[in-house]
Amino acid sequence: MSNATLIVIGLIAAGLLIWFIAVFNSLVALRVRVQNAWADINVQLKRRHDLIPNLVGAVQGYMAHERSTLEAVTEARTKAVESSSGTVADRSQAESALSGALSKLFAVAEQYPQLRAVESVQLLQEQLTSTENRIAFARQFYNDEVMKFNTAQATFPRNLFAGMLGFSPATMFAAEETERANVQIKV
Amino acid sequence: MATDAVRPVIIGPRDRESFFEAQRRNRRATWRLSAVAVIATVVMGIPLALTITPLLYAAMLIIADTVSIWAPLPPSFWQYANELARYGMVGIGWLTQGKAGNPQALVLGLAVLLLPGAILSVGLWLGVNALFHRAGVGGALLALKARAPNQSELKELQLADVVQEMAIAAGLPVPKIMLIDAPAANAAAIGTSPNDARIVVSRGLVEQLNRDELEGALAHLVASISNGDLPIAFRVTSVFETCGLLVAIINAPFGRRSRGTLWRIVRYGLFGKKDSESAALEATAMFALLTRSVGLDTDDIDDVFYSASHKKSIFRSVRTFLLFPIFLTNTAIKLSLWFFSFSMLGLSMALLWRKRKYLADACAVQLTRNPNGLAEALRKLNSERGPIPGGAWASHLFLVNPAGSDRMDDPRANAAQQQMWTRMWAASEASKTSNSSPSAPADLPSVMRQITATRSAALAGDANAIARITAFRQAAATALGKSVDEMPSLTEIAAAQHGDAAALRRLREFGNTKTTTQPAASNSQESFDSSNTAFAGFFPSLKRRLKCLDRMGAHVELESDGGKSWIVIAVLAVLLGPFALAALALLLILIAILTLASLVFLMLWMAVIHQLFVVFLHH
Repeated sequence: MSNATLIVIGLIAAGLLIWFIAVFNSLVALRVRVQNAWADINVQLKRRHDLIPNLVGAVQGYMAHERSTLEAVTEARTKAVESSSGTVADRSQAESALSGALSKLFAVAEQYPQLRAVESVQLLQEQLTSTENRIAFARQFYNDEVMKFNTAQATFPRNLFAGMLGFSPATMFAAEETERANVQIKV
Repeated sequence: MATDAVRPVIIGPRDRESFFEAQRRNRRATWRLSAVAVIATVVMGIPLALTITPLLYAAMLIIADTVSIWAPLPPSFWQYANELARYGMVGIGWLTQGKAGNPQALVLGLAVLLLPGAILSVGLWLGVNALFHRAGVGGALLALKARAPNQSELKELQLADVVQEMAIAAGLPVPKIMLIDAPAANAAAIGTSPNDARIVVSRGLVEQLNRDELEGALAHLVASISNGDLPIAFRVTSVFETCGLLVAIINAPFGRRSRGTLWRIVRYGLFGKKDSESAALEATAMFALLTRSVGLDTDDIDDVFYSASHKKSIFRSVRTFLLFPIFLTNTAIKLSLWFFSFSMLGLSMALLWRKRKYLADACAVQLTRNPNGLAEALRKLNSERGPIPGGAWASHLFLVNPAGSDRMDDPRANAAQQQMWTRMWAASEASKTSNSSPSAPADLPSVMRQITATRSAALAGDANAIARITAFRQAAATALGKSVDEMPSLTEIAAAQHGDAAALRRLREFGNTKTTTQPAASNSQESFDSSNTAFAGFFPSLKRRLKCLDRMGAHVELESDGGKSWIVIAVLAVLLGPFALAALALLLILIAILTLASLVFLMLWMAVIHQLFVVFLHH
C-alpha cells in the first residue's frame, strides 16, 4: 500500500472516531438532560406535598361538610409521599391520583363563595394552581426530553450500538386514567 | 370528553401547521436573513471604509509632519509612506477609471484603501459591544423605574408563578421579573444573554389579562430568551450604535454636540464603574444619543457650513475652503450610512427580527400547548397597549410594538365599540322618555344616522332634538368616565362644521384622548425608535401573527381581507417598481461619486498640506 492510501485510511478512521465520540457525548448529554428534568419534576412534586397540609388546614373550617373530599386529598398525598422512592410508573400513578383529588377539591370549593373571598385562601389556591401547572410543565419538559433521548437512541445508525454503550430508553411520565376521569368531572 | 361529542367536528384550515414545523420554518428563515444582514453589513462597509481610510491617513500625515518639526523622522518612514501612497493610487485608478494593471499591486492597493477603515469600524464595533455589555440591563431597568413584584398580592403572585411555570416548561433558569407601574399593557424581555435576562411587565398587563393569556404572553418572552434573541438584539442595536459613533467621530472637529457625545463615551469607558446606578443610566443615555445621530437630520457640520455661507468673513471662507474635502467625506459617509442602514441593513435586520417574533410565538405554543392564550393576549394588547415611559429605546424587545405600528383592525373590538355607541344612544333615549322601554336599534349605521339627523335638527333649533342630544352627551360622559363639561358641546360641533379652527382642534384632541391614551410622540425624538432605522418596522403585523397562531390551532375570528390588499400592493409594485429601482440606482451612483470625489479631494488636500509643511517648516 502506498503512503497516500494509508493517510486516507487513517483520516477516515480518525473521522469515524470523532463522529463516534460526538454521538456518544450527545447521547450522554441527552441522558443528563432527562435526569435533570426528572429532578425538576421531583422538586415540584415535593412542593405540592408541602403545600397540601396548609391548604387543607385553611379550608377545613369552611368546608366541614366536605369531609370525604378533604380526606381523599390527605390520603392521596400520603400515598404520593410514600411512593417517592418508587419507580417512575408508580410515582406517576400516585401523583396523578393526588392531582385528581385536588381538582375535585377545587371543584367543590367553587361552591363556597365565602371561601373564595378569603385572601389567604386565594393566595394558597393560586400557589397550588401554580404548583399543579409547574408539575404539568415539568412533566411536559421531561417527556419532551425523554422523546428526544429515545428517538436519538432508536434511529439508525445509533440504534446499532446505543444498547452496547449502556443506554436504554427512558420512561415517560404519563397521565393516568384516574386523572383523566377526574378532569372530566370538572368539565 | 363530553363536550367534544356535542361540538361539531371542526376540520382545521387546509394549511394547518404544527408548532414544530412553524419553528423549523422560522429558524431556516432566520439563517437566510442573518446571512443577508451580514452581506449587507459588508457591502455597507465598503464605501464607509473607502471614505474613512483617507481621513486616517490624513490624520497620520499631519501628526507625522508635526512630529518631524521637532524630531525628524527617519527617511525610511517617508519611503514607506510613498510606497503606500503609490499602491493607494493604483487602487484609486482602478476604482475611477477601471484600468487594472498588475493584479498583485491592485490587491495591495485596495487593501491599502479599505483595510484601515474596515479595521477601525470593526474595532469601534467591538468597543461599543464591550462598553454596553458592561452596562447590562441595569440602566434599562432604572430608566423604566421597574420594581420587583409584590408576592403577597394575588395578581402579582400570579405573574411570578406564571413566569416560573414558563421557565420550567422551557427548562430555563427563572428570569427575574420586574414590574413597571404603567397603565398601558405590554411586556418585554431585556438583557444581553439568558443569564442576565429580565422580564419587564407593565402593571396594566397584569391587570388586564387572565391567567391563560398571561401564560401565553410570558411564554412568548421566555421562548424568546431561550431562543437566544437577546444576543441577537444586542448585536443588531450595536451595529446601529457603531454607525452613530462613526458619525459622531467624523463630526467631532466641527461641533460641540458631537464632541460632547464623544467625551461622554470616553469618560464612561475610562471611569464608568460596573455596578453603579449612574453609570448604568449614563449607558442608556449614550445609547439614545448614538442611535439618534444615524439619520439625515441637521448636524454640527451643517451648522459650520451654514454659518460660513451666511456670515461672510475671510476667516470663515478660508476655513470652509480648507475643510471642503472633509465636508465631502462627511456627506458621503452620512449618505451611505443613511442609504444602507435604511434599505439593506435595516430592512434585513427588521425582517430577521420579525422572524424571531414568529419563532417565539411558535415556541410559546410549544411551551403552553395553548395557542389560544397567546392569541387572546395579543388581541387584548392590540387595543390596550400604549407607550411605556422610559421604554421607547428598547421598543423592539416588547411583546407588541409600544408605538403601535403593528396595530390591526380588530373586528371584535370594533363590535364592542359599536355596542358601546348603541348602548349610549339607547340609554340617552331611556333617560329622556323614561315611560317606555327604548326601542333599541340593533345596528350601528342606523344609530349613527339617527344621531346625525338629531344633531342637525338640534342645530336647526328643534327643542326636542336639543333635549335628546343633551341626554346623549350625558350618557356618553358617564360611559367614558368623564364629566359632562369635558364632552364637546353642540355649539362647538356646529362651529367645527363651519370651519372654526379652534373648535376643530379641540374636537380632535378630544377624539385622541378618547380612543387611545397616546401622549404626543415627543419622547420618540430622543430615543431609539426602531422604525427610524428601516423602511420596515421591527414588528410583524398582529394580524399575521394571529393568523400563524390560527394555523397552529388557536380560534381567532379575523375577517379576511379577501386578498384585496395583495392586488393593490401588486399593482403599486408594477407601477412604482421601476421608479423605485431607478431612484435606488441613482442613489447608489450618487454615493459612489461622492465617495470617489471625497477620496480624490482628500488625496489632493493631503498633498497640499504636506507641501505646506515641507515648504514652510522643514526648510
